[in-house]
Amino acid sequence: MSLIDRYIQEVGRHLPRKNRADIKTELLSSVVDTLEDRFGTEPSESEVEDFLKEFGQPREVAAAYFPEGQYLIGPSLYPLFRMIAWIVVAAVLGAQLLAWGVAVFIAGESFSILELLGSMLTSIPVSLGWLVLTFIILQRFEVKPDLDDEPWDPQSLPQVNEEEDIKRGELIFGLVFGILILALVFFFPQWIGFVTAPGGKFYPNPVIIQYLGWVKASLVAGIGLNIYLLWQGRRSPVSRLVKIAENLFSIFVLALLVQGHNTWLAARGAGGFFDTLESISSITGGIWELVGMHAFRMAFGVALIVTVIETLVMLYRIVRGKVQARTITVLPPASA
Amino acid sequence: MSKENELSEMYNKLTQELRRGILVLAALSQLKEEKYGYALINSLAEKGLDIEQGTLYPLLRRLESQGLLDSEWNVEGSRPRRYYLISPEGTRTLEDLAGEWRSLTNVMEKLLDGISIEGEQNESN
Repeated sequence: MSLIDRYIQEVGRHLPRKNRADIKTELLSSVVDTLEDRFGTEPSESEVEDFLKEFGQPREVAAAYFPEGQYLIGPSLYPLFRMIAWIVVAAVLGAQLLAWGVAVFIAGESFSILELLGSMLTSIPVSLGWLVLTFIILQRFEVKPDLDDEPWDPQSLPQVNEEEDIKRGELIFGLVFGILILALVFFFPQWIGFVTAPGGKFYPNPVIIQYLGWVKASLVAGIGLNIYLLWQGRRSPVSRLVKIAENLFSIFVLALLVQGHNTWLAARGAGGFFDTLESISSITGGIWELVGMHAFRMAFGVALIVTVIETLVMLYRIVRGKVQARTITVLPPASA
Repeated sequence: MSKENELSEMYNKLTQELRRGILVLAALSQLKEEKYGYALINSLAEKGLDIEQGTLYPLLRRLESQGLLDSEWNVEGSRPRRYYLISPEGTRTLEDLAGEWRSLTNVMEKLLDGISIEGEQNESN
């Protein structure tokens, strides 16, 4: 087989099946015409080689016939893919958190943040993988969505944010609140608990006392961040990273607290919400203590979920390079 | 990559973009009589417009799929050749594009008035 035939065959390998034979015949005819014109009817091997180099790499020559074929997901499908991908990620995250919440708080199953993160790390890539596969098939069939049919109204544009300015009032409120809680845990840790009614019996929370060191550290970190932001007056890439680090630390401390409450409740046969309802009849004393500990666990669980979501959103914005157009929502301190 | 190479690469890209827009007009203008690809390349080259084969053939296919060209195989010569001819739709498009081109060149002449061209500058030096 001559070099020319090998070249045409290689171009054909990268062409769409539909027009392959036709394009190959035309290319062969054109290559031979050019060679004859330049070098006569019997060009040498090196002349053919030089000419084919000039003609271009087979893959590139084929790509010019079928530009869309060079993409797994082409420009016409990509905006739709991106939109659906974020919906899928949000839906999978939401469903996992909901399932985790039901398992831990209602069914009283054992709590493990590593297991939760592990299942997220598996389910999100799998869901996105299926989505990519679907779009690759749509791309192969040259499906083109009409996303821009609706008339565009400039009035629908979002308001410009005061992007770099921080909300001082919010920060000062968070700071004062954080200091009050910190004072409580530092000087009156025995007062952390709950009462059944005004003037009623006081029940201390043994789990918070158990992890008091971590709670204090988390509160100090939150207060420190608020002071730093007030001092800076503006948000910066560094302050965003510090905020994410502080959130990760809060997640760790909240996970410890939820885990501690789980263990405490499970030891009293009231790990799940329904276990507690069942055991109400058999427990005569301390039922309010169980209810109170359930309430504490629920509050820490909600704070944990909200902090995880907030951190993911912040990471997503940083990755998209759009974080400068947003303001970071300051959550209440971890133990609030 | 040196600054000079970067500039040269950027210049090549800009030139390609500039030329890409006019290739449709150039090809349509030469296909009032039917021609096969290589003959069209020669016809354009004779008039001063060099175009690579790897660019022209896919372009002809695209114009045909858009209904601006008709084509048919001719197997009478030494080898089969695909001949292209402008379609009635292509002729109307060519007229519109030609009008647009003339208007653009008028505007561009005014815009570029007074800007020296590198070649001319070198010659005068």
